[in-house]
Amino acid sequence: MEDTAAHLLLALLAGYLVVGAAVGVSFIVFGIGRVDPGARAAPWAFRLIVLPGVIALWPWIAARWIRSGAAP
Amino acid sequence: MSVTYGAVGWNRAKRAYDAAIGVGIVIYLGLFVGVGALAHADATIETLAIRGLATLAFLMLHVILSIGPLARLNPKLLPLLYNRRHLGVATFFVALAHASFAIVQFHAQGNVHPFVSLLTAGWGFQTLGLCALVILFLMAATSHDFWLANLGARVWKSLHMAVYLAYALLVLHVALGALHSESRPLLAMLTAVGFVWVITLHVLAAAREAPKDRPAPGVPDGWIDAGPVTDIADGRARVVCASERIAVFRYGGKISAVSNVCRHQAGPLGEGRVIDGCITCPWHGYQYLPENGRSPAPFTERVETYDVRVVAGRVYVNPLAHPPGTAVEPARV
Repeated sequence: MEDTAAHLLLALLAGYLVVGAAVGVSFIVFGIGRVDPGARAAPWAFRLIVLPGVIALWPWIAARWIRSGAAP
Repeated sequence: MSVTYGAVGWNRAKRAYDAAIGVGIVIYLGLFVGVGALAHADATIETLAIRGLATLAFLMLHVILSIGPLARLNPKLLPLLYNRRHLGVATFFVALAHASFAIVQFHAQGNVHPFVSLLTAGWGFQTLGLCALVILFLMAATSHDFWLANLGARVWKSLHMAVYLAYALLVLHVALGALHSESRPLLAMLTAVGFVWVITLHVLAAAREAPKDRPAPGVPDGWIDAGPVTDIADGRARVVCASERIAVFRYGGKISAVSNVCRHQAGPLGEGRVIDGCITCPWHGYQYLPENGRSPAPFTERVETYDVRVVAGRVYVNPLAHPPGTAVEPARV
C-alpha cells in the first residue's frame, strides 16, 4: 500500500517535471523575451540560471506566457 | 540596476563575498572530515561527508538568518546583506549534497528504488529534511531579479519568508534525527544555542524597529508632523510612519515624500541619500526621482508619493499615498 502510494507520487512528480522541462526549454528559447522585455537580449547564462525555477513553477510561467499573447 | 538581465551581476565586492563563501566551505569540510577521521577512526568517509555537509548547511542557514537582524542592529554589517542571496544559493547546494549522499548511503543499497525507500521510511526526520530542501530549492531557483519582477514583490517575498519554515523543519530534522541517536550533549547544546541566537537577534531587531512604526503625531487636518526642517540633513531623509513608513527627503531647498519601501527588494529608501538628483536605495542602488517617485528612464520602477508642506519651519506630510509615479510639487524651504 505504502509502496503503491510512493510509486504513484513519484510518477506524478516525474510527469510534472517532464512537462516542466518541455515548457521550460520552450520558454527560455521562445517566450522569455515576450513575458519580460528585460530578458530579450539577456545572455544564455541568465536563461539557464532561471530554467530550474521555470521547470518548478511551470504552471505560473505558462499562464504568464499565454497572457502575454504568445501560445507555446 | 540594469535594463537587460545578466546571469550574475558580478562586481569586486560580490567576487570577494563568493570567494569567502567558497573558502569557508572548503576549510569547514576539510576540518570536519580531518578531525572526524582522527577522533572516530571507525567512521567511514561517507558518514563524515554526510555529517560535515549537514552541519555546514545548518550553520550557513544560521548565518543567513542572522544577517537581516544584525544589519538592522548595526548598519556597518549591511554589506553582508547585499549578497545574501549568494549565500542562500550556496546553502542550498551544500544541503543538496548532504541529501544526495544520505539517500545513496541509506536508501540506494537495496533493491527498492531509492526515492520509494525514502518516501516509505515513515513520516520521520527524513521527510522533514526533504520538505526543508524543497523550500531551499525554490528559494535558490528564484533568487534572481527576473523572479522578483515576474512573481511580483508580494509573492516573491512570501516565498522567501518560507526560510523560517525551512529552519523550523530543519531544527526538527536535527532533533528527531541526529540528536535522537547522539548520546553526547554537544550537538543538542549547539542546536539550542543556534536556535536561541536566531530568536534573540530577531527580538532585538524588532524591538529596535518597533518605535519607528509608531504612528507619527498628527495635526487636526490629518497630516503628519514630520518635525523641523532643520532636523533633516540635506540629501537625507526622515522616516515617519502612517499605515506605511514614509521617507521625507530634503534636497537642494526642496522637500518631497515617497514610500520608504524600495520596489527592488523592499530596502529602506529613507536610509539612502539623494545622489545626482535621485533618491538612492542603500541596499542595491535603485534610484527614484523625488518629485514623482519614478526611476529615471529607461528604468520603470515607481514608488508612491505623498503631499508635503512646510509651515513655520516644520514639515507636514499627507498620509494618503498617491499612486506610484505620481508627480507631486515639492515643498520649498
